Amino acid sequence: MDTLYNLFIEPLTQPFFQKALLGGTLVAIVCGVVGCFVILRRMAFLGDALSHAMLAGVTGGYLIMQFFYGDAANAPAMLIGSLLAALITVGMIGFISRVSRVKNDTAIGIMYTGVFAAGGILASVFSHRIHVDLLHFVMGQVLAVNDTDLWVAGIVAAVVLSAVLIFYRQLQLTSFDPVMAASIGIPVLAIDYLLTTCTSLVVVSAVTMVGVILVVGLLVTPAASAYLLCDRLSRMLVVSAILGVTSVVGGLYVSLWTNIAGGAAIVAFCTVQFLAILVVAPRYGLIAGWLRRAQMVPQQLVEDVLSCVLRAGDAHPTLEEVQSRVVESRPDAVAKAVRTLTRQNFLEEENDRLQLTETGKREAQRVLRAHRLWEAYLEHVGTPETEIHAKAHQLEHVHDPAAVDYIDDKLGHPLRDPHGSEIPVDRDTVAPGKIVKVSQLREGHCATIVSVGPMAANDLLKPGTSVRLGPRQQNGNMWTVELTDGRKIALPHAAADAVTVEVQEETRNAEVGAAKSAK
Amino acid sequence: MCRPRAEKRRRRLINLRQESTATPAIEVSHLTVSYGPTPALLDVSVTIAKGTLVGVIGPNGSGKSTLIKSILGFLKPDFGTVRIFGQPADEAKGRVAYVPQRGSVDWDFPITVREVAMMGRYGHIPWWRDATREDRRIADEALDMVRMGDFRERQIGQLSGGQQQRVFMARAMAQGAEILLLDEPFAGVDAATERAILDVLDRTKAAGRTLVVVHHDLATAAEYFDALVLLKQRLYAYGPPEAVLEPELLSEVYEGKLRGFTELVKRGRGG
Repeated sequence: MDTLYNLFIEPLTQPFFQKALLGGTLVAIVCGVVGCFVILRRMAFLGDALSHAMLAGVTGGYLIMQFFYGDAANAPAMLIGSLLAALITVGMIGFISRVSRVKNDTAIGIMYTGVFAAGGILASVFSHRIHVDLLHFVMGQVLAVNDTDLWVAGIVAAVVLSAVLIFYRQLQLTSFDPVMAASIGIPVLAIDYLLTTCTSLVVVSAVTMVGVILVVGLLVTPAASAYLLCDRLSRMLVVSAILGVTSVVGGLYVSLWTNIAGGAAIVAFCTVQFLAILVVAPRYGLIAGWLRRAQMVPQQLVEDVLSCVLRAGDAHPTLEEVQSRVVESRPDAVAKAVRTLTRQNFLEEENDRLQLTETGKREAQRVLRAHRLWEAYLEHVGTPETEIHAKAHQLEHVHDPAAVDYIDDKLGHPLRDPHGSEIPVDRDTVAPGKIVKVSQLREGHCATIVSVGPMAANDLLKPGTSVRLGPRQQNGNMWTVELTDGRKIALPHAAADAVTVEVQEETRNAEVGAAKSAK
Repeated sequence: MCRPRAEKRRRRLINLRQESTATPAIEVSHLTVSYGPTPALLDVSVTIAKGTLVGVIGPNGSGKSTLIKSILGFLKPDFGTVRIFGQPADEAKGRVAYVPQRGSVDWDFPITVREVAMMGRYGHIPWWRDATREDRRIADEALDMVRMGDFRERQIGQLSGGQQQRVFMARAMAQGAEILLLDEPFAGVDAATERAILDVLDRTKAAGRTLVVVHHDLATAAEYFDALVLLKQRLYAYGPPEAVLEPELLSEVYEGKLRGFTELVKRGRGG
């Protein structure tokens, strides 16, 4: 108990630790929020540039105050200097990439090293006048945060967070689709500058805590972790801020216990946190990816298993029976497919016997319809009877509705395949409320006429008339439409295509003969 | 460009202006736009009547996307003007909506289908206010119209190519714009999806909107569009598809890269 107290509670009573926690938390929140936009716009390198440019700004501010006012180490002047240096760097980067063929990332590389070097030169030339330890600036000094730093962090947090809240939509849209943003009158360039200014402010307030080198880590790492966890920008902002705070708190404790530099501990904590999330993130993590790949079952096998169960009909097969019938795949692959399909609610298991759920049945019938239509097609093109089933078994996996409906139409909407089994209707297309052609209907379907094309001009067929489909005549080439008063109209294929109807509640009893073998 | 060619071009240029008495939806005149030293568009003039579905064709790098972005007011022309319903393009903000090329969208962006559709409303929401229930209703209706209502909460990267395309169409609908500009909506989608997108285009046109579509497949161009714009920096032809899809003209513009296409074009025009 005492150990715990000493480890966790005791530090909280120390003013330096309280200040470090408060300052670090403020900085981490804004870094997290702004960092989201920085990574989504691929500006991470720019954050790096900004922090380095500050060396020149800090030195400049320090020297100006000393020369003109004799006031050494005036903190506000150093901060304003660094902000100015940051903005000048950004301006120069934009200028170079606009006026020359040099690309943006190169321009950043040129300018930030240049400005950083200028800062270094200033610091060396006037080394006799500068009495601050620049190492602190480079490495940060989070455990020595003073009141000025806290004020700066507080004001920056307030300004930046309100800017993000007010201009959230503009920031979101310009990050996602700047062309559209411009087309609806959002000042894209102004929003870009707003974000860059916010980034500079954040970097300025964070540098005192974690130093020039590590500030980018605090800016992009929590945001990247949140990116792996979230599918919405608004949530990503919140999660990123939280992860920033946990890194600061965790890092500070580690730093205190082990006596390592505060900034390093914070960023190291942040990185470990990211790596952990990278592994375990529910959707975009490594483990999730492995699991997904491990569970993936080839679509072809899924269809083979489903149609095998469908063809077994009421004799619900056991897993072993399915394994023996689906000969194209290894038994363990079939077993895995069955497990996956059960989990996805396509199959149900009862007393070791497999049966299709309603969704499974629908899917299986789609494949069956494709199979039997392909058989009809193969017969039509003169494929030897012995090959038809095997070839159709390969082709049934081409069951894109557009392709299948096309064959169906070209074959004249056959009722049965060459083996005499019924070809099921597509229950997604021919469903109550859907608009279809009369030619797609089967005996027993009831429908209301929507429109009648010239090919089917007939006084009895008018929009709004209710009809019922009678049996197909002349080898299935003549559709029969029955009116409510019992009169019958015969329509050839072209005419049946020209009449569109809305399908009514199904009155058809003879459901698809699924139990019949495909052979 | 030597004179006979220019002359030939002028002969083929069929102006739709005579067909429409009202103010044209889009009026591009003498538009010249350049990135760096070489012009992407040179002296292009096109007038598009309200309620037409116009295809923009031409080889890669012929300035098709540049034309779209200029009509949108995103690019500043070096010379020439774009007028939208008689207004200068930058004053007509919000009357023109844009469906980006699929390759130019960051599909990993943390954003859901519904949030994308809501972006269509951003032009109507003042910056100090939040989206109203009415805005949400319009966005949802637009999603229903392209049959993406069931995918509202999906992140956009987890959709198929055609679904992604439809989400952006919904965004353009929610914008309530009278003119829709689409950059290669049919690129990389399967045949069934192409049909579905075409269906949405037709319904949009039937609602009296004007559509300008960048298209790369000459085989289907005649079937899909009321008029075609043939571009390669300059305007080579503008008019009904059968007048624009002349093998002779196309081989001039595509510089022989068309050999395989010629057959397709003939078939396309026959069908």
